[in-house]
Amino acid sequence: MTEKNKIAITVRNLDIYYKEIKRFSVAKSGFKNLTSAKNFHAIKNVSFEIPKGQIVGICGKNGSGKSTILRAIAGIFSPDNGIIDLHGNTVSLLSIGVGFQKKLSGYENIFLSGLLLGYSEKQILDRIDEIIEFSELGDFIYKPVSTYSSGMYSKLAFSITAILETDIILIDEVLSVGDIRFKQKSYNKMKELISDENRTVIIVSHSSKTLKTLCDRVLWLDDGVLKGDGKAEEIVKKYEAYMNSLD
Amino acid sequence: MIKQFIEDIKKYSKYIKYSTKAGLKAEIAGSYLNWLWLFVEPICFMFIYIFVAVVVFKSNIEYFPIFVFIGLTVWNLFSKTLVSSVKLVIANRDTVTKIYVPKFVLLLTRMCINSVKFFISFSLVIICMIIYQVPISLNVLYFFPIFIILFIITFGISSLFMHFGVFIKDLSNITTIALRLLFYASGVFFAIDTRVPAPYNELLIKLNPIASIIYEFRNVLLYQSSINFSLMGIWLIIGLFLSYVGIKTIYKYENTYVKVMK
Repeated sequence: MTEKNKIAITVRNLDIYYKEIKRFSVAKSGFKNLTSAKNFHAIKNVSFEIPKGQIVGICGKNGSGKSTILRAIAGIFSPDNGIIDLHGNTVSLLSIGVGFQKKLSGYENIFLSGLLLGYSEKQILDRIDEIIEFSELGDFIYKPVSTYSSGMYSKLAFSITAILETDIILIDEVLSVGDIRFKQKSYNKMKELISDENRTVIIVSHSSKTLKTLCDRVLWLDDGVLKGDGKAEEIVKKYEAYMNSLD
Repeated sequence: MIKQFIEDIKKYSKYIKYSTKAGLKAEIAGSYLNWLWLFVEPICFMFIYIFVAVVVFKSNIEYFPIFVFIGLTVWNLFSKTLVSSVKLVIANRDTVTKIYVPKFVLLLTRMCINSVKFFISFSLVIICMIIYQVPISLNVLYFFPIFIILFIITFGISSLFMHFGVFIKDLSNITTIALRLLFYASGVFFAIDTRVPAPYNELLIKLNPIASIIYEFRNVLLYQSSINFSLMGIWLIIGLFLSYVGIKTIYKYENTYVKVMK
């Protein structure tokens, strides 16, 4: 393999704006609002490269653009400037409450999510028992998702992404799913997923412990600017110091 | 862009198929009659219209109940798709904020669901035609090309409404009012060509795609006549053009939808 093949994610000069063209109402404002769009600069000229197999944490205070960058990498919204290149890897975003159709059963939602992640029906059928078992939902899997508690909802979401593995997994604060036992179980599963050296993982977390124990490397975002990039221990220490200094 | 569109259709065809099935199931989930409900609903509507047609209106149009039912079936496909398209992206917010999916896929799924209902309704039309012993000719085969034109026109218009629906809050209210007007201009309950004085009757049929399509469906199914090729051809071209513009617009802006819908 050449050096270039080993890179899983390239992000170069990334800028993302939230345009304040909120949904507007013709009755209320006429058409003038469209032109007075204000921009909120969420990600400011961020560049980094992640080699294949690396586990990267992203830390930063609330509203610093962590989730935005994950969504951009997942392809949910496009960069306004710069490029994101996944080098042909498949990607899935794991966050609290993955998109489910609430009227449908968990079983059907596994299929829908799987098909959207690019799996064939057969591949999903092969793994569905494993997913159901891991989710611990039992017979609830055949009930509509709208009847689930928030814990069950997250457990199912976690199980789908954890069992239907993609090359790149993006995790948004998900380690706090379910009760203590499921938390431990998902933490272990996460470790197992991460230990596959072909899998690239990005974790957004506020927990210093998670970042230090799971990640090889941490990116620190502050108001959309990449403030630090380096070994987990080192960056987390700086980040903690900075957060404490704010108080 | 067309290449990307075809690739995406291939890639997501399984998803469209599965979510159409799931969507139909979700609509009837929890009801006692289950799948039967898909048939019971149009049958009930049909009896209502037969009652209105025969008892209230005493219309002298031949096969009036079927006449009305054809109009309503076409109208339902168009209006239900259009109304839901305006709020489609927001209705699927749980999905679109978590994973990338070409947004026209959501529309196609909706249209497939409505098309299934359309064909269920039409199977009832056929049963009625047998009961009323409507004479038929080979021209009934034009049913399929007319349906395709209806599908393309509906897709084209709805794709644009889906796009603007993300940005304009009250578009759904406006759509509802506009559709009500269009409903009466489409001749669902009456024959435009005999009820509306000339020259407006012909204009009304020719300028309104839904009126044209309903008119042609009735011609081939009830009156053994052929279709107006130039008129249908023009609507096909307009439909394809609208679909092209719609798909292009959606591809260009779909990644800003999530940013707007907060």
